[in-house]
Amino acid sequence: MTSVIRTEKLTKSYGTHRGIVDVDLEVQPGEVFGFLGPNGAGKTTTIRVLLDLIRPTSGKAFVFGIESSADPSAIHKRIGYLPGEFALYDRLTGGQTLEYFGNLRGGVDRAYQAQLIERFELDPSRRFREYSKGNKQKVGIVAALQHRPELLVLDEPTSGLDPLVQQTFFNTVREQVKDGATVFLSSHILSEVEKSCDRVAIIREGRIVRLDRVDALRDLAHHQVEMRFAGDPPAAEFERLQGVSDVEVTDHLIRLRVFGPITGVVQAAARLGVTDFLSREPSLEETFLAQYGRAESDATVGSPAPAEVK
Amino acid sequence: MAAQAQPQPLAGLRRISLRSRLYGFGSIYGKSIRDSRLAFIIAAGLLGGMALVMGAAIGQVFPSAASRLEIDKLIGSMPASMVNLFGKPEKLGTLGGYMSWKYGALFALGTALWSIMALSGTLAGEAGKGSLDIVASAPFGKRRIALEKLAAHVTMLGLAMAVLATMTTVSSNAFGDAALGDRISPLSSLGFALWVGFIALFFGGLAFALGPILGRAGSAGVAAAAMMLLWIASGLQGLELLATVSPFHWTVNHVALAAEYDWPGLALVGVVAAVFLIVGVEAFARRDLGVTAGLSMPGLPAPVLGVRGATSRAFGDQLPRALAWGIGLFIWGVLLASISGTFAKQIGEDTSLVGTFRTIFPSTDLATAGGWLQLYAQLFVIAAGFAATTFVAKWASDETEGRLEMVLTTPMARARWVVTGGIAAMLSVSVMTVLFAAGIAIGATAGGVAPGDAILGSTYLGIYAFAIVGIGFAIGGAWRTSVAAEIAAVFVLVTYLDDLLAPPLNLPDWVRQLALTVHLGQPMVGQWDPVGVVACLAIAVGGVAVGAMGMRRRDIAK
Repeated sequence: MTSVIRTEKLTKSYGTHRGIVDVDLEVQPGEVFGFLGPNGAGKTTTIRVLLDLIRPTSGKAFVFGIESSADPSAIHKRIGYLPGEFALYDRLTGGQTLEYFGNLRGGVDRAYQAQLIERFELDPSRRFREYSKGNKQKVGIVAALQHRPELLVLDEPTSGLDPLVQQTFFNTVREQVKDGATVFLSSHILSEVEKSCDRVAIIREGRIVRLDRVDALRDLAHHQVEMRFAGDPPAAEFERLQGVSDVEVTDHLIRLRVFGPITGVVQAAARLGVTDFLSREPSLEETFLAQYGRAESDATVGSPAPAEVK
Repeated sequence: MAAQAQPQPLAGLRRISLRSRLYGFGSIYGKSIRDSRLAFIIAAGLLGGMALVMGAAIGQVFPSAASRLEIDKLIGSMPASMVNLFGKPEKLGTLGGYMSWKYGALFALGTALWSIMALSGTLAGEAGKGSLDIVASAPFGKRRIALEKLAAHVTMLGLAMAVLATMTTVSSNAFGDAALGDRISPLSSLGFALWVGFIALFFGGLAFALGPILGRAGSAGVAAAAMMLLWIASGLQGLELLATVSPFHWTVNHVALAAEYDWPGLALVGVVAAVFLIVGVEAFARRDLGVTAGLSMPGLPAPVLGVRGATSRAFGDQLPRALAWGIGLFIWGVLLASISGTFAKQIGEDTSLVGTFRTIFPSTDLATAGGWLQLYAQLFVIAAGFAATTFVAKWASDETEGRLEMVLTTPMARARWVVTGGIAAMLSVSVMTVLFAAGIAIGATAGGVAPGDAILGSTYLGIYAFAIVGIGFAIGGAWRTSVAAEIAAVFVLVTYLDDLLAPPLNLPDWVRQLALTVHLGQPMVGQWDPVGVVACLAIAVGGVAVGAMGMRRRDIAK
């Protein structure tokens, strides 16, 4: 089966500035593919090369098996794109804007367009410049979805949307996937990717550093273990164990990360008289931070900073 | 008693240097000065350059006492309405007197336009974009923000006026004849520059005062319309009542370059300008940020806005500015055509005057209405050229404002975006040209003369503007849209200055021949130069084609 998106050592430099380096990706039909990375990692650059908005310095990008710079119009006919940042026509209303983008594609199913407008609670009679940030984003989303594209390329799609509208958005995307669409979703919000994607590629400083199924990434990652002891926790006993790191002690509580099998920690805990034991499967967010370090990522995080790290 | 905690200065903070407070990111004033440096360079360059050019041109064209007498006779024969529109004719036989009468209003109107654009945009424009919200959240009041921004513009305006005053005196010393009374004293130059600056601040202040209420477009539109109306009212008979509130009328006796001063009149303009500025500061301080009265340009009906396809959308986007330019040129056309007939008739009845004019303007038959309109050809084409650059800028804004990504990820090809944009820009030029031609026709008919060749001749504006569109599209498509309009505007300016300067500066003929406008003939009297017409059309079509081809190769800007 032909990949919907395929890149081969895709590289883009802006003079002396790094863009992306040797990016290899493959997105299969019907897949929701997450493209994850901190700001400035090269997510948008990759998307813009895929859509022939910019040309690669070296390497190749294929969408629907067509090289992106060879016949971009053939690709664009089959996609829906929501840029990370965009502006539209200030004088047009939301409805006119959607009509225009529909017309550029030779017309759209008006009933479905109306359904989307209703679902996103968008007032199409207001001028684009009068919309709030979230409502502008809704116009962009409907413009990207209204023609039921085969491939949805979404760059930070939930930016500016409230949680309820985010839910509506993901439900709509899921429906389109059910109908056969493929989704390439770029984000720096890890929980968003975790919730909605089948596979994820992590890009950092222009290079793909990990590409796997979301589940596999989680399995490959660590467990967060929290144990309570009657006396001082025997931190040294746990630090000796294979795969244990980030041991942190607060009063009678010990927290640690375990990479790989957790059996050794469970056995040691039982032997050392643990009074309470909690093992938590880490979120992708925590996986990401464990992989790249808190300071190096500006990704959204919710966990507090450790009180003490041994 | 509880001690009140005082905020302590944070250790390790770098002190803001005086230099960056005056020019840079050390204060709102410094940043506003920095932001307006390009506008200042253009304004000071144009004003100073024009003062030099006028001195050189007048010294060359009217070098003797006899030729100066001819000018006096010439002006004396003109209808009062036309004479007064330019200003009070005083000592026209001197460089200062002639320059003041013929071009004084041009200096004032041009500078006022700069002030209107700057002062309508400095607060209202930034509020509209949303960036003012962040500035206003800084720990000082809105009044101070307004004052610092205002002070920056007044500083730049003052510096530009200093350049104008200096260049005026330098010009008279370099090119004038002391024996003919051409020398302009520093006091006269200062008086002239003050007049220009005060007129500019009057209308700029009006825009500034209205900005917090009407927003940028509304305040600029009202101030620009008031400027044109009050200028015309000060000259035309029948509008005396309106003229009483015109700063041009208040300063009609202030002909500083002819050493005639009316300081109280000038002071009145300054006082009213100051009142406008104070009102602007207070209105900004008291009103909600960015909340305007909602008065803006009337909206266009949906079918005209164009959502059916790429060309109609591009044209719909251009249409408001095409209409704005067209209406402006229409008014200008009506005004000039309505008085040109009378003037041509007067000239035609006096055989000695016909001879005089043939000496001064050998290639123009001023006994016809078209001949008089041809005299204004350079001004018409520079206006049409700048209009074309604004159409280029609007097209370019698709990319510079971030719309192009969504447009180009539809099945529309890059080259098609350039071609449809080019067609829309040229349609806009056509709208503007048709309105101008209609103005000429209506004005001439109202003035009792047959417009004849002048109507068809008006199309030369459009033909020249097509070429400017082509240049802008070539640059925007092949290189980058962010500088396309600016480079096209530089081309318009250089062409204008080349055409104007080459003869008085005795430059080789081939230098003047480089100016596209030289090759357009005298279309207002029915004399066309096919070479120029073909060249313009070739540049227009070729430019769009180059842009379309170039666009296929380059990256889209983010």
